[in-house]
Amino acid sequence: MAHVAVKNHRHGVLNPKAQFQKEITLETVLKSAYVADPLKLFDCCPFTDGGAALVLASEDVARRHRRAIWVLGTHAATDTMFVHEKRDLARVAATERAAQGAYRQAGKTPTDVDVAEVHDCFTIAEIVATEGLGFFEPGTGGLAAEKGWTSLGGKLPVNPSGGLKAKGHPIGATGAAQIAEIVTQLRGEAGKRQVDGARTGLTHTLGGNTATVLVSLFGRD
Amino acid sequence: MTERVINLKSFFEEARAGRLTGIRCGGCGELAIPPKEFCATCQKRDWQPVPLAGAGTIVSFTVIRVAPRGRGGEVPYAVGVVKLEEGVSLLGRIVDIPFEALKAGLPVRFRPLQIDTQTVIGFGPA
Repeated sequence: MAHVAVKNHRHGVLNPKAQFQKEITLETVLKSAYVADPLKLFDCCPFTDGGAALVLASEDVARRHRRAIWVLGTHAATDTMFVHEKRDLARVAATERAAQGAYRQAGKTPTDVDVAEVHDCFTIAEIVATEGLGFFEPGTGGLAAEKGWTSLGGKLPVNPSGGLKAKGHPIGATGAAQIAEIVTQLRGEAGKRQVDGARTGLTHTLGGNTATVLVSLFGRD
Repeated sequence: MTERVINLKSFFEEARAGRLTGIRCGGCGELAIPPKEFCATCQKRDWQPVPLAGAGTIVSFTVIRVAPRGRGGEVPYAVGVVKLEEGVSLLGRIVDIPFEALKAGLPVRFRPLQIDTQTVIGFGPA
């Protein structure tokens, strides 16, 4: 879990709009105080002041715009609010259902995704999300972070913006901010945190005790 | 649609008296706790109350060190998901067990807790 925090802070340094543009070490995370075992202070995202906006257009209008990014698929799914009713505490059923719907609509698979912004409200949430979205097998998302596969330069960069952990979590604006980052990446305008050649991007937004999840896929011409 | 046989208010009144009550769906047999409007499995509103023994085992737990607003004076305290022997799970405070002794699979028993004027679901040693 600590590797996720270190990675997202490292990405945040490259994002001039991130709340925390400061690198941390594994020691910073592991020596921080417990909030709720086993989560420590640096496993938790901050609350952030911030806003985000999206411009949506019809296909006709978008076709006249050379910087248009296409919504390939978007799917929402729900689950019970109660933690004691979750069928498996180590998985997020709503993420898995929303992902399946979004991939189906887009005609894509997890291996088509070049860059993803996922809801890392806590480090473990990013790990479980990367598993639920089909990037890694259940139980191996932590290893993927440790190996650097989800870092910029890795096989599938996750949260190049710094994620909720370092970019910040302006609660109601987070979903739009994730999409704004993916649009920026797909346009090739992400500067030092650009994922080279990104053509397909994914956003994963979660709320209400993992009871509501929205997964969307985006692509460029 | 049938009248609800037990609501959240009476559930906590019963709990305060030491009686844990679940509800069983007349449509599909699903057991649930605490009471809710309709069955998430079959969407029926046909609940019957089921007395539960209150015995179970810890499925997962945490120790809250930084509490939500209004609970700061109570930290640290343990919270866990307990699977009751009837097969349904419930979230509650875990008390009178040292934090170091908490583990998945540990047997516990329901007990009502009074925090200020509120009745809270608790579990103590079996």
